Amino acid sequence: MKEKITEIKERAIPEITNCKDLKELNDLRVKYLGKKGELTLVLRGMGSLAPEERPIIGSLVNEIRDELEELIQKKEKEFKKEELQKRLETENIDVTEPSKKIELGTRHPITQIIEEVEEIFLGMGYQIADGPEVEKAIYNFDKLNTPPDHPARDIQDTFYITDDILLRSQTSPVQARVMENQKPPIKIICPGAVYRADSVDATHSPVFHQVEGLVVDRNISMTDLKGTLEMFAKKCLGENTKIRFRPHHFPFTEPSAEADVSCFVCGGKGCRVCKGEGWIELLGCGMVHPNVLRNCGIDPEEYSGFAFGFGVERIAMAKFGIEDMRLLFENDVRFLKQF
Amino acid sequence: MKASIEWLKEYSDIDVNPVELGDILTMTGSKVETIDQKGNDIKNVVVGKILEIKKHEDSDHLVITQMDLGTEKVQIVTGANNIKVGDIVPVAKDGSELPGGKKIKKGELRGVESCGMMCSVGELGLDINQYPGQIEHGIMILPKKYEKDLGKDIVNVLDLKEDIIDFEITPNRPDCLSIEGLGRETAVSLGKEFKNPRKNIDELKVEDKKELEGLKVDITAPDLCYRYIARIVKNVKIEPSPEWMVKRLNACGMRSINNIVDITNYVMLEMGQPMHAFDINSIEGKHITVRRAKNNEKITTLDEQERILDENDLVIADDKKPVAIAGVMGGLNSEIEKDTETVVFESAVFYGGAVRKTAKKVGLRTESSSRFEKGLSPENALRAVNRAVELVEMLNAGKAVDGKIDVYPTKQKVNKIKLDVERINNLLGTKISKQDMIDILEKLDIKVENALVIPPYFRQDIEQLADVAEEVLRFYGYDKLETTLIKADTTLGVRNKEQKIEQKIEDVLVNNGLSEIYTYGFVSEKDLEKANISEELKHTAITIKNPLSDEYKLMRPSTIPSMMQTLATNANKKNQNVKLYDISRSYKNINKEVENGEIPLQENILTLGMYGDNLDFYTLKGLVENVLETVSVNRYDIEKETKNGSYHPGRCANIKVGIDTIATFGEVHPEVLENYGIEKRAYLAELNLTKITKYSRNNKKYVEVPKFPAVERDIAIIVDENIEVGQIEKTIAKKAKKILEKAELFDIYRNEKLGENKKSVAYALTFRNKNKTLNDDEVNEVMENIIKELEKSLGAELRK
Repeated sequence: MKEKITEIKERAIPEITNCKDLKELNDLRVKYLGKKGELTLVLRGMGSLAPEERPIIGSLVNEIRDELEELIQKKEKEFKKEELQKRLETENIDVTEPSKKIELGTRHPITQIIEEVEEIFLGMGYQIADGPEVEKAIYNFDKLNTPPDHPARDIQDTFYITDDILLRSQTSPVQARVMENQKPPIKIICPGAVYRADSVDATHSPVFHQVEGLVVDRNISMTDLKGTLEMFAKKCLGENTKIRFRPHHFPFTEPSAEADVSCFVCGGKGCRVCKGEGWIELLGCGMVHPNVLRNCGIDPEEYSGFAFGFGVERIAMAKFGIEDMRLLFENDVRFLKQF
Repeated sequence: MKASIEWLKEYSDIDVNPVELGDILTMTGSKVETIDQKGNDIKNVVVGKILEIKKHEDSDHLVITQMDLGTEKVQIVTGANNIKVGDIVPVAKDGSELPGGKKIKKGELRGVESCGMMCSVGELGLDINQYPGQIEHGIMILPKKYEKDLGKDIVNVLDLKEDIIDFEITPNRPDCLSIEGLGRETAVSLGKEFKNPRKNIDELKVEDKKELEGLKVDITAPDLCYRYIARIVKNVKIEPSPEWMVKRLNACGMRSINNIVDITNYVMLEMGQPMHAFDINSIEGKHITVRRAKNNEKITTLDEQERILDENDLVIADDKKPVAIAGVMGGLNSEIEKDTETVVFESAVFYGGAVRKTAKKVGLRTESSSRFEKGLSPENALRAVNRAVELVEMLNAGKAVDGKIDVYPTKQKVNKIKLDVERINNLLGTKISKQDMIDILEKLDIKVENALVIPPYFRQDIEQLADVAEEVLRFYGYDKLETTLIKADTTLGVRNKEQKIEQKIEDVLVNNGLSEIYTYGFVSEKDLEKANISEELKHTAITIKNPLSDEYKLMRPSTIPSMMQTLATNANKKNQNVKLYDISRSYKNINKEVENGEIPLQENILTLGMYGDNLDFYTLKGLVENVLETVSVNRYDIEKETKNGSYHPGRCANIKVGIDTIATFGEVHPEVLENYGIEKRAYLAELNLTKITKYSRNNKKYVEVPKFPAVERDIAIIVDENIEVGQIEKTIAKKAKKILEKAELFDIYRNEKLGENKKSVAYALTFRNKNKTLNDDEVNEVMENIIKELEKSLGAELRK
């Protein structure tokens, strides 16, 4: 019996080692280790052995069985690996072929600038305020220290619906409305469309967009204004941006200033965008005029505030390198998709 | 306001170059627009004399000249025909430069050498008006006196070097519309002493008279005329003005007329007070009345145009007629003539608002009116008239008559403001000492007495402490302001509900391939027609009184025309697959709000517009549903809309919450497409963001994930074509009651075997009871009920 077992083993090992594929390997497993396999049959035939021989033969068969099983498994792993390798080779693709994505749309460059500004001021604790575009003259002008005979009210500059109703020429009426309805502290920005009677050309549009800001509280100072705008300029235009105040005049602020920023295209060296000056005029600003506070029911003896405002298109054009404002309102998808 | 540096030097020492001066003044509030350094751009142009002129053999119009340039003789070929031998002319030599960067080099003209160019007035960058007798298209012929200067630089010979700065003066500073005002700003900005060359005028006393040479003055509209002063000069000789005066007038952009008119302009430039001079003999009754014009009263102004006035306009009149439109322009009937002997100088101050309106109405914005409209000082008027009389005597142009007529009904108010140093520093965020503040103010001729700030007569703009703060800051230095951050209670910076919703929606749209557009709120009547906007809606459009054009005449009551126009623009440019969105407003005057001085309805509308491949009604519907789902608008009905003219009557739907329509969407009506020249089917949606915000409910609650199994059953029925699947679904839902989890439409099938106008609709129904496992009997019963009801109410036939 022993001889038979040894003979099976010696026959099986080279057969397993030399087998060609998984199928053959499976056949060998059945042939030797299966229910009717040669080794199994040997075990079954143990009944004819003397009782003292049985454990010896039994353990020998199991030993060989384990040995063969291990060998088969090893071989199996090899075959699987080979097979996988073959599959991977056939599944090779060209990764530079076109994708199947859904083409994304874009937000308009004006929105992108406005949202960037909004995020910065939201982070500084400002609310975003909104108001009517078809507005009362009293909010667009009178409450903002621009009395009826003021040149800014000229029909050449402002679209009128009636003598009392007009298309807002600035987003400042939103400020007046907020001041009337809310007690300080007030910290808002007001983005939106404004209307001026300018014919359409490369740098003018009868509709354009402004973002204005307003802060009213106790002890608000002009250095706070400068600091706020510097922070804004650095976040919006780059950490190295510098800010410069120049005196100016607006009816609704006193003192008033125009703020320049170091050119964000050339960094202040002088280029086409800044006309060689190194500075770009960014916005108008100032301390809220005491008359404006008074007109909106806020006591200028107790509170002070600052306000600022700028045109969005101008910044979008400078930032994105757009030279003709008409492109912003023509809405050619080949233009829109670039942003 | 243009100012020559030469003139400014009368008021202040200037030891910086024009560019530096410009920078310094810009930083103290007088913003420089341009600096014109006249003469700097002319190089190597000299005085020459024409010695000989010969015909060019090969040309009909060219001549060959020999020129004497002092130290050398050169040959120049020219096409000019206004020259003769012996003429003295400016010659641009080989290697010279002319204004505008033009370089002149030696060359050949039709084979003949030419070593330069003779120049015209224009080529030298000079104003033809300043050189009487010269012609525009010809060589500048210089006076014979320059024969002694042959070869010398033309810039020095003609004294062309002049630095002129053009300032943008803000409307609160009419005092700076004068050399005197700018001179004061210059002196203080440079830290120099303000040299007041008009001290004698400030101290001069002129006696008041009721009548002067028989002339009397009355003001009947004291609300529009604050002061009227008249002085008279006799034995007037009308002559050209001296060269220095002409030069200064020219530098400021004014033309010389004659000595008397020039004096009025000179004083206006010098002191900022517009003046008027007229012949006393043209005043009927020798009686001047400053009065409101009569309605339809006519006057022909100095520019020979007839102007029609009304009672809102102010005139200077004699007993019979108006002789000037107050503050705007004089009348032709009282013009200074060559034989004028007695001149009345008028120096008056009018209400700025009225002057502005009149100037605008008659279309005459003059140097005078643009100063008056900013509000001038009545105190300055007296100085100005005295200065004018002084200049007359200085120029020997006439003899002053003693005394003045001075009608001054309301004295100029003097402001007094408490100097609150702490509040100024708090407002500015500075720590400027009281003494430093006082020093700055006093340099500006603003007095500080007993802690009261008293602005001078020419600074009516200083009314409150904030104005004082600005003056202090201007000369403390805007650039010295530090940067601080607000020290105050924390405020919350968050978007409100509508703003958040807008952002979420935009994300969905962009992710679905839509790009945002920006459109004008203006439309024309034609635009509304093209988009088939209903009559009812058209009536709510708001009309602009002064539109740029008919194209931009109305504020749109609907955003459809704007979107259609944009789709058309893109179609026209052959752009394929265009998907757009616009978040903007519609404006509706529904209940005469505008007429009643109220704000009309302005709603925030999301408009979608698209055309291209793989698009149909249902893709659009899916997108709209996604938008609503994103912002948690979950309960709504979709109903067919057949009457909206902008949409295809068979392919349009409204989305309603209760009875409130929150959105309309569908395929664009073929007529509308044709009106816009779009050849493909296009799709539109309008979603009212204001309403969507209202119905957006973010009250999500966790519902237990089902524990018990679902039962699925398919059902296919044959119904008439006009039965909407929505009706079928409602019927199924009604009968299935609570155990229906989902009814999913998986097939719609049409075939002639089904019968004419019939369709087969198949659903996969999912039933589940969340508390127990459903048994077959329960489901069978429900299915039977559903089928019965479908048969009964929709005429459905079960397909087997």
